[in-house]
Amino acid sequence: MVRGNKLMRALFQIFLSLCLLLSSMHAYADEKAIKLLERTTAAAKQLNYDGVFGFQAGDKLQTVRIIHRADVQGEVERLISLNGIERELIRTNDMVTCIYPEGESVQADRRPLGRGFPGDLLSRLTAASAYYDLTLGKQSRVAGYQAQELVIKPIDNYRYGYRLWIAKESDLLLQSNLISDRGSVLEKFSFSSVKMGLDITEQSLTPQMKGNEMAWHRAKARMKSHREISAHAGTSIWKVVWLPEGFSLIKQQNRLKAKNGAPVEQRVYSDGLSSISVFIEKIRARHGHLHGGSTMGAVNVFGTIMDAHFVTVVGEVPARTVEKIGRSISHRDSE
Amino acid sequence: MTTDQNILLSALVDGELQGEELDQVLQLLATSAQAKIQLERYQLSSDVLHGYGSGNQQQDLTTRLSAALADEVQYTKTLERKETSQLISFPQQFWKQTAGLAIAASVGALAVVGVMTQPQNQLVPMASIAAIDDSVETMMVAQASDRWTVDEQEVEERLNTYLLDHNEYTSASGVFSYARVVSYGSGQ
Repeated sequence: MVRGNKLMRALFQIFLSLCLLLSSMHAYADEKAIKLLERTTAAAKQLNYDGVFGFQAGDKLQTVRIIHRADVQGEVERLISLNGIERELIRTNDMVTCIYPEGESVQADRRPLGRGFPGDLLSRLTAASAYYDLTLGKQSRVAGYQAQELVIKPIDNYRYGYRLWIAKESDLLLQSNLISDRGSVLEKFSFSSVKMGLDITEQSLTPQMKGNEMAWHRAKARMKSHREISAHAGTSIWKVVWLPEGFSLIKQQNRLKAKNGAPVEQRVYSDGLSSISVFIEKIRARHGHLHGGSTMGAVNVFGTIMDAHFVTVVGEVPARTVEKIGRSISHRDSE
Repeated sequence: MTTDQNILLSALVDGELQGEELDQVLQLLATSAQAKIQLERYQLSSDVLHGYGSGNQQQDLTTRLSAALADEVQYTKTLERKETSQLISFPQQFWKQTAGLAIAASVGALAVVGVMTQPQNQLVPMASIAAIDDSVETMMVAQASDRWTVDEQEVEERLNTYLLDHNEYTSASGVFSYARVVSYGSGQ
């Protein structure tokens, strides 16, 4: 009997391996396309640029100015909304500051950042090619630059596709269309103008948002140092049972939530291109939370309450994906 | 809004501004609410006319707008008037006039799109609204999703915090990763 079980297990493992092999063969990746994607990812972090881009989701269009500087000190980035509600966002290596009007004052919230993708992002992008068809598209012109189109199609309906237009000389991403499984454009980012290779001054990275009646008010942010954040990593009592093929844990960190101090655990899973975050927050008082799904542009979330915790899955993936992941999460003690 | 300012805004949408002109128009956008509304219209118009959007529904809209514009005599007259005045004012910048004319021709379309996306907009000629039937408006509103579809502000704030924390891990469109945050709910 035991022998029979072993045989069954071995056969099942072979079957699984064959399934994986077949799915990997299904994806097609043009080597030039992968290299281009890798160069684009690096260019976004290494170039200085100053431009204006449009962000379209549904029938809404926002115009945003972006100023990005990269030097030996690292990256600094400033985004300014040019229409609708006035907002600015400053991102440095480890801090993001959102500045927005509130009543007649200007509010500034600062939050410590995660460390972004780990250093092996490039190899992760290569690994992602098993789950996407990557092909070079046509050449065209975007924001006055010759651009190469890169078409990225997922192998299943648990992730979105992309059409990217990348500047031929600099490898900077000029336009990005996020494509649904039905082939429609969910979101579009597109530079209308951008200048590269500039000397970006400190002044241009300094927030300018102010008004005659507005007074500066800086919110007190409660932050943890990176040492404190990383101290909690790797000790999660939560388990994510189901993930789309190719997704794996790339980051786990604990932060203090700025408002009520409740600990929040963030776990980031990625296939190299798409990523989702699972947030688990201990309930400290009677608060409302999301039950089920919600959507903002192409970002979907799924929320539930489990063992006195808010559990939320966030990602640029279809609603079915965040829901399926969310429903598979369990507390290790409850097993 | 002066003709100069309209031309600068149109050139911004077309990605034709650099240096002092870019600074000038950004300064204008920082100080003039009307300029921001105008820029939004130009950008929408540009996208609609180029057929950008979310699939077939957007194409249907373009077709309907084109059909509606065919009956708009009022804007044809405006177009002719603009052509003459711009030739006198800016003879050395004909390329910009051409862009301006294209935009003037689409003002009707912009006005209709403006009504659907910003019902509070008072600058829209009411005559244009009649050209579009109610079903188009319903369709466009249903697509709006620049903020979370939740009832409680507390939940919305929590989701925004999570979105901010998640942003560092969006690799495919890294250049634009914080655009959603800075644009959140701006159209409301």
